[in-house]
Amino acid sequence: MTEESRDGEVLIEVKGMKKWFPIKEGMLSAAKSYVRAVDGVDLQIKRGETLGIVGESGCGKTTLGRVLLGLIPITDGSVLYGGEDIRTIPDRELRRKMQIVFQDPGGSMNPRMSVRAIVGEPLQVNRLAEGAELTQKVADVLDSVGLKREHMNRFPHEFSGGQKQRLALARSLSLDPEFILLDEPTSSLDVSVQAQVLNLLEEIQEKRGLTFVFITHALNVVNHISDRVAVMYLGKIVEIADTNNLFSEPAHPYTHALMSAIPEPSLEKASRRRIVLGGDVPSPADPPPGCRFHTRCPIAEEGLCDVEEPKLESIGEGHSVACHFPLGPGKKLPIIGDDQIPPEDDDNPKTVVL
Amino acid sequence: MTENVLEVEGLRVHFDTLDGPIEALHSVDLKVKDKQIMGLVGESGCGKSVTSLVTIGLATCDVDEGSVRYQGEQLLFSDSDEDSRVQDISGWIVVLCVMTAILGFLWTVLINPIQGVTVLLASIIVGGLSWAVGFAAKSEFRKHQKFMRWVRGNEISMIFQEPMSALNPLYTVEKQISEVMRTHDRLVDAETPRHIRILQALVSPFSLFVRAIRLSPYVSSAVIGIFAFVTAAHVGGFSDEAELWAFLLVIILPILGSRSSLKERREAIETHLAVTGYSVEGVAVDIALGTSSQTSDSGAQIRLWSLLSIAAPHLPLGIASSIVVYLMLWMPFSALMGIVVICTLLALPVVIILDYLILDPAHTRQVISILEGVKIPNPEAVVRMYPHELSGGMRQRVMIAMMMACEPKLLIADEPTTALDVTIQAQILKLMRDLRDEKGTAILLITHDLGVIAEMCDDVTVMYAGSVVETGSITDVLSRPRMPYSIGLLHSIPTIEAGSERAVLPIIPGQVPDPNLHFDGCRFHPRCPFADEKCISTPPPMMEVEPGHFAACHYTDRTNNVSQVQAAFDRFAAEYELEGAA
Repeated sequence: MTEESRDGEVLIEVKGMKKWFPIKEGMLSAAKSYVRAVDGVDLQIKRGETLGIVGESGCGKTTLGRVLLGLIPITDGSVLYGGEDIRTIPDRELRRKMQIVFQDPGGSMNPRMSVRAIVGEPLQVNRLAEGAELTQKVADVLDSVGLKREHMNRFPHEFSGGQKQRLALARSLSLDPEFILLDEPTSSLDVSVQAQVLNLLEEIQEKRGLTFVFITHALNVVNHISDRVAVMYLGKIVEIADTNNLFSEPAHPYTHALMSAIPEPSLEKASRRRIVLGGDVPSPADPPPGCRFHTRCPIAEEGLCDVEEPKLESIGEGHSVACHFPLGPGKKLPIIGDDQIPPEDDDNPKTVVL
Repeated sequence: MTENVLEVEGLRVHFDTLDGPIEALHSVDLKVKDKQIMGLVGESGCGKSVTSLVTIGLATCDVDEGSVRYQGEQLLFSDSDEDSRVQDISGWIVVLCVMTAILGFLWTVLINPIQGVTVLLASIIVGGLSWAVGFAAKSEFRKHQKFMRWVRGNEISMIFQEPMSALNPLYTVEKQISEVMRTHDRLVDAETPRHIRILQALVSPFSLFVRAIRLSPYVSSAVIGIFAFVTAAHVGGFSDEAELWAFLLVIILPILGSRSSLKERREAIETHLAVTGYSVEGVAVDIALGTSSQTSDSGAQIRLWSLLSIAAPHLPLGIASSIVVYLMLWMPFSALMGIVVICTLLALPVVIILDYLILDPAHTRQVISILEGVKIPNPEAVVRMYPHELSGGMRQRVMIAMMMACEPKLLIADEPTTALDVTIQAQILKLMRDLRDEKGTAILLITHDLGVIAEMCDDVTVMYAGSVVETGSITDVLSRPRMPYSIGLLHSIPTIEAGSERAVLPIIPGQVPDPNLHFDGCRFHPRCPFADEKCISTPPPMMEVEPGHFAACHYTDRTNNVSQVQAAFDRFAAEYELEGAA
């Protein structure tokens, strides 16, 4: 992380963002209940940084991204872009500044459009270029993502997965935005291609001074590419910190468990003891009361964690955590040996250590 | 024990496509030792899944050469030369005879009946005989099919990547697991014999009433109440005055029904919460049903609206039942008879079939004990659930339970955790390892995640573009890889180690080649920094670089220093142009 981005101005500010999806039964009925996909998120994204958002499936990371871009209406709270509420900025102007790269590059491109039409469409819609100028601009942007001018008349199916993702990136870059949301851009790619795309992203960010929000479920990718990381669980941010801080001193038990659950291709790390959380992520339609993680948390205390919801509080420079008992340098998650698991918990233990 | 459970040798297969044959595997060698976990790793499109499908005889490709031995038994089948020639010839004769028969039929109708019938009969007799000969020549093949059916499930079973598409959405968990066991004759003796169960099913319409009252007491008692009222009206002779009351009753009935169904739903949600392991109090249930105190504060208008919205779906039912009650008052006994007959005709077969389909209690207990084996919480409730009611991790557990039901000696797991979250993945991996430790099942674990391999396996085989490029024990391959592809793959994965990130991630330039491209030499040469003329012209042999550690590379002597190889990759990647691979 560089000094400039630490002191840099705040580009996007999210205040108390909520997105609830109503569950209806039948046409006439009012909403029976709500899926609380994002339930009160505060965030600050600084100019020029990469913010990683990690979490398991169903924790609301994609919804957060879409609300951030104004693709779906916000239920409560506000998103400020450069101090201005995005609901007051006209759509065309907003899209010129904020762009998105979707998870499935093949699915987000019209198979009947040529590369020139796909990458050039944003320029045409905004009436920024036409004819030969458009072709030149498309060629430039293709060049910057490592594709060739000759690719311009091909169709999406003629490209491999990695190249399609480059193409999607080229489309989002064509308007020269300030901010790009990357929604799991590498999760459908093979490892060797993923590395190529990650390198390309870093290179482009350095050249153009872009701000990225990188949504993913892979902690190792986030560690590589992000300056700051926010960990989400059931619609809430449970921990946010500088990448180095987070990975060296995870404070939330969920972050800790998540990090230890990731299999790594090296033998020394495979042999270490790992924490395995029991059970599944609860449904966001009826989140547990109190701390949302207490149903799976090994250090949850009855009477506190299942009643009172912890606030996101700062525990160090740029490091905030929402936990009643944050772990720290001197406080690690208690490791239970195989023989010490209490027998009554044997059927459905909250955590198991390997 | 070093005995090999599965030995694949020199396997070469191709798929027939409209653009000609595509060779999917070129000489794959694979050995799975008893009670060991063998990892098969590679990027997408390198032939991992095809290898496993060929092994259990489910692949739709043609095997050109090679052998697959399971405990010394050959699993691949090919007809003897004589048999296949007989089959070919008999097939041709049958086709010819069918055409002659058609011709003979036309001849009979149009030209000469006697000649035509003779030709027709002759061709039918000859065709039938040659079909019988061809059928007899296929007996070996049928015997092998039967054998493979026995092998799958009993000896080798397979876990698929996507549990939702491998499980049948129309059947409950107990049905699906017991089906595997019935096929392989593993079910215990039933508590009630078959003929008694059929008898029970035949008398089961009476149990219908009992069940109806047990399940929804309010609605059932309301229905019985209306019947009693109508009968009383007729016996008492005040049926004309009773009409209005009957209509009122009918309007109240659906509202009563919806009230009670709300109660049933609450119970259902509570059981579901108990099953999934969250001890959430009534609050969450209230919120889920929309009946919490918050919503009831919002004024009379909303209350009226919600009452309407409760009643609205029941309106058609209400109108129908009004007509029925009206008919009953008008001509009571014929209407009653009509209703009874129609209901019986419609419901009886369904009731009998459903009752007969319910598993024997002994079998249910057996399925529950299997589910306990894979550590599913609350198995008594899970056996009655459908796949969509389970979460991803639970589905995968059910899948594993199904595959372990017949206690196979080899389990092929094709990307078992790819669709799962990391915390759930850790649970499933632990379960699989525990099963191996308890039951001594050998596992062939197919994955693209080297992390999973490091976690689970004893041995590992790396595949690239349809051939095995490196194989050996996990320590050999992960700490001292010798094939440039394995080295590049290992280093292109970002780690979570704090502060270990490099500014630029090491990469392998280019991508996996198209399977229909032909290579004379090494398939990795376009992406390899060490490639030269020899690599382009001659395929590399499997070299034993250490005891038990093989790598397919001409220059294994150059690849013993991992950091040098990495530097070579970096230099090569800088020069490499994307277009070169495409």
